[in-house]
Amino acid sequence: MYLLAPTVLRIAPEALPAQVRARFGSELRRSGAFAQLCMLGAQACLDAAGEDGPLAVLWSSRLGALHASRAALDESLQRGEPAMPFTFIGMQPHLAGVLLAQRAHPVTRSAHLHLADEDWPLLLSMAQGWLAECERVLVGRVEESDSGGVAHRSDWCLLRKKPLAGAIRLEPAPQQDASLAATAEDWIARVAAWAIDSKAPLLLRGGDQAWRFTPKK
Amino acid sequence: MSEAFVRATALASALGPDLDTAVERLSGAPLAPARNTEAGGAWPYFSIPVAGDDWMKRAEAIARAVAESLRREAALAPGEWAALPCIIGSSSHSVGAWDKGGWAALVPPLEFSRMLAQSFGARGPAMLVNTACTSGLSAFDIAVSLVASGRFREVLVLGVELSNRLTVAGFAGMELLSATAARPCDRARDGLVLGEAFAAVIVSAAPGPWRIAALASGLDATSLTGPAPSGEVIAGTMRVALASAKWTGAAVDLIKLQAGGGRLGDLAEARAIRELFAPPPQTVSLKGALGHTLGASGPAELALTLASLAHGRVPATWGFATPDDELGLKPAGGDGKGVSRVLFNLSGFGGNVMSLALEKSR
Repeated sequence: MYLLAPTVLRIAPEALPAQVRARFGSELRRSGAFAQLCMLGAQACLDAAGEDGPLAVLWSSRLGALHASRAALDESLQRGEPAMPFTFIGMQPHLAGVLLAQRAHPVTRSAHLHLADEDWPLLLSMAQGWLAECERVLVGRVEESDSGGVAHRSDWCLLRKKPLAGAIRLEPAPQQDASLAATAEDWIARVAAWAIDSKAPLLLRGGDQAWRFTPKK
Repeated sequence: MSEAFVRATALASALGPDLDTAVERLSGAPLAPARNTEAGGAWPYFSIPVAGDDWMKRAEAIARAVAESLRREAALAPGEWAALPCIIGSSSHSVGAWDKGGWAALVPPLEFSRMLAQSFGARGPAMLVNTACTSGLSAFDIAVSLVASGRFREVLVLGVELSNRLTVAGFAGMELLSATAARPCDRARDGLVLGEAFAAVIVSAAPGPWRIAALASGLDATSLTGPAPSGEVIAGTMRVALASAKWTGAAVDLIKLQAGGGRLGDLAEARAIRELFAPPPQTVSLKGALGHTLGASGPAELALTLASLAHGRVPATWGFATPDDELGLKPAGGDGKGVSRVLFNLSGFGGNVMSLALEKSR
């Protein structure tokens, strides 16, 4: 499979609302910070990839919209106020798929996963499976900041079944000493940094799986 | 890409602690659900009959019992079992621990998924997916993709939805709960009835009793709360499932309905079925027996459907008595011996729509 537009966003929590308004022209209805963060990163990746059409969306995080879930418990059960719609079934992360679909990106499959740092290569295996059914899979890692001074993270890339000019070839590789340990938090950022001036293949591993990224031609 | 099969299933639900009990119970008189008094109501609620004051310990006890049933049926070698990756579908994960334990009892979803995997003795990667009501079938979808890509030979899928105040308060606040009973496809249906379930499925590359002929997915962005009344996306998703499975509509023996209890959602599904099938094949809904088990409903209803068919039966649809002419569906139980192709529908909040085509292995 082939990778396009590795995109790395770091957003100061206090800057998020303004960036959402600037990119989408308004607040995203019913969405909390986590879904907004997903949308900003996913849309930036799609803009950079510069193509349109049906896609599947697969993204992960360690904590998900934990802050929204805590707020829902506080509002609904402690203070007796109605919780923000959809937060009560932990749906804030999943909302990003619908919001993307509502912005003219036909989404055929979507799933948000809570995934451990070392298991990031599984996202690529899952995407490989999904590519049997669709042409493109948008893959992301999103973490909402839980402390002041730490930026929100929203990293995305687009995977394709077929080659395209400028695309990075991506394939499973046997575990080798030459591979570099990467985490769910940093693998897209490392690919993005490497892709700027890539000459040799990049081998990244997580858990017991490694993937080879071959420079674009 | 490899083929994938359903190798084994297990279920704890309001019908009992295991599938044999559930199938037997389902052949008798309908179960009267308990009542949940959250948010000032007296909502019918289908609970798993396992007592326990400590939410997390109760969850672990249920998990261990389901694991034991699954281990017996799967008959995997100990090394294969221990290496299983575990994908959990849940919309509420461990939020119920807060009800009595407060903030200190809340654990992040990833830790909860590791705890459940540990209860099963599965030491592969553990992860949790939440796509609302389709969470469990999304987990199944991911498992199929991992098996098909050759990354794993077997994957453990769990659908877990256990009692918690937040879910009931949320649905009550949106006025989606029935105050009376679960009545799938019935003219008098007036909302959904929630339930608990803990279901487990092993998806395998090795031939098993049911082959996964196709699993199609769509996203209906018309509304955040459910599919468009036209049923267009549901019809499209079923059409893709049929095409991928290389089936004609006439080849389908049974459709397991979503039939969530909402008037618009049920109408959308009925319209989609009538568009594709003339006349519709036999249909069944299990929400009158299990309740709507939200994120667990995919694996839970799958386990109960396949177990009933293994006993030669299509279960009766509890709660259905009077057809709704607008739907034109009459779910009915009966002899299941001739059923070899099942279309399994699921949809929910957030617009996810899924259709799974299952074929009995020869």
